[in-house]
Amino acid sequence: MAAILSRRLPGGDAGLVAFGSGVTAPDLDRGMWDSHREGLLGAPDAWRSDPGLCLLAPRNAEDARHVPVLADATGLGPVERIVVTIDYSPFPLALVFHPGRALPLLGFGVKYEIAGPIRASALTGAEWIMGGAFIDAMGGGCSAPAATHARPDWQEGFGEMRARLWPDTGRLRVGIRHPMDTGLADGVPAHHLTDLTLTDARGDEIARLEIHEPLEENPVLTFLLPPALAQGPVRIAARDTSGFRFSGEVAA
Amino acid sequence: MILTRRQILLGGAAALLPVPAIAAPEYRLMPRQVADGVWLVEGAQESITRQNGGAICNIVLLETAQGAVVVDTGGTHRHGAALRAFADQRLGGVAASLNTHHHPDHWFGNGAFADRPIHALPGTIDAQRAGAQALSDGLYKILGSWMQGTAPLPATISVEGDLALGGRGLAVMALSGHTGADLALIDRQTGTLIAGDLLFLDRAPSFPDADIAAWRKALSTLGGLPISGTIPGHGPFHRNSRAVAQTLAYLDAFTARMDAAAGLGLTPAETLAAGPMPDFAHLVANPAEYCRAVVQQWRAHEISALPVIGGSV
Repeated sequence: MAAILSRRLPGGDAGLVAFGSGVTAPDLDRGMWDSHREGLLGAPDAWRSDPGLCLLAPRNAEDARHVPVLADATGLGPVERIVVTIDYSPFPLALVFHPGRALPLLGFGVKYEIAGPIRASALTGAEWIMGGAFIDAMGGGCSAPAATHARPDWQEGFGEMRARLWPDTGRLRVGIRHPMDTGLADGVPAHHLTDLTLTDARGDEIARLEIHEPLEENPVLTFLLPPALAQGPVRIAARDTSGFRFSGEVAA
Repeated sequence: MILTRRQILLGGAAALLPVPAIAAPEYRLMPRQVADGVWLVEGAQESITRQNGGAICNIVLLETAQGAVVVDTGGTHRHGAALRAFADQRLGGVAASLNTHHHPDHWFGNGAFADRPIHALPGTIDAQRAGAQALSDGLYKILGSWMQGTAPLPATISVEGDLALGGRGLAVMALSGHTGADLALIDRQTGTLIAGDLLFLDRAPSFPDADIAAWRKALSTLGGLPISGTIPGHGPFHRNSRAVAQTLAYLDAFTARMDAAAGLGLTPAETLAAGPMPDFAHLVANPAEYCRAVVQQWRAHEISALPVIGGSV
């Protein structure tokens, strides 16, 4: 929770406390949790919730195509990976984050097809820690065509990569212009990002993200780097289902 | 205790309902005259909830010799019908109605005024047609049985300039900012400004279709008018410029907060969780409106904080 930056805004500390600080509700062990733990997390014997894993999400999806979420597992020990699942989504597996040499914090936006819980499950040693939140939604986010298809040429600006590094806080934010088509909208085939990698100046991997259909259109991702890596430069590379590759480099 | 057969049947039927049986909801209007022939039905200073039935915006009825000119028709058909009954019983019927913009709390009562002309800006009518189904779905989900009989009816006549309805002169201002088409009116007889949702007073403004730059411009127009009193879209009737000042201050503070958050590298989730600007945290409908506004407005601020560093290879 120390990594959550809401306090940098005036009144943000009190606001965050009033919001609930991202602590997982005690009754979140229902819904699809048993099924997804078995099918998507490899049926682990042991799991629990822990205040060291916060998941910040709005209570209502104001826009079912862009639901902002922050998973912060920096309060846990070393994290091997974080798996983001959405209970009643047609694509329950949203993201798998391998933090590697980055810290176990990931900001992202997802599409919401129907109201229900979203969960971030962190593997620490042999144990899974699950954090989550219930998001109410009118839904339809996964089956609506991407907004870009309403324009005459959706390829205009396609793949544009934006990013910025904040050495003081270790934040890295990366945006890629991409329709993230799920394949569920009429007449629009699936076309979405599949993975994104961060590497350091020597070309060694920092962190890796597996991406699935629920990630929002024109996604913006937030990472947290330790002080040495936060000085940059960081190279960002991504791929999509059509074989397009995207890359860029960001310096502090 | 002796139960009649009817009570047993009613009790049995109620037990089968999926939701708790409550008394059929009813709109209780309290119209009050704020200027000569200007009746205000003040909306609840709240978000739309199952308690208030969506009766949250201010409704204005102007008396004329040919009946009332009704500005905004309520959030449901039954709300509209209650307003219509007041006009029929007390103001000699309805001459015409107007919709200030396309947000549903202002026009979903149109069905109760369908036999008379319903005026709105062309951009409002387009947005009503395009958004009716989605807005209706959303309101049914929140309001449930309050929405019975509500089939959204877009306005029928485009407002192209100043109006004289039932003999009452209305200066028309076609503005934008709260939505793509916002109608503000001045009742010439009394000098009362009917501002629609360009003005909020003591309630957090809502932003689902806001263009903040255009809204600021509209506020500077409204701030310079020679008027005797102001009816904001939400909030009390008043005789000074408080609503203009407060709405402008809110827009400025919100914009500054979004720019600061995006510039510091915050995620939208953290920005939303931080809650509203401290000076406006106490406003009715906050933090709910602030949280909605962050999602609606975030992207523009984020883009300007993130430089282009690469692309497709």
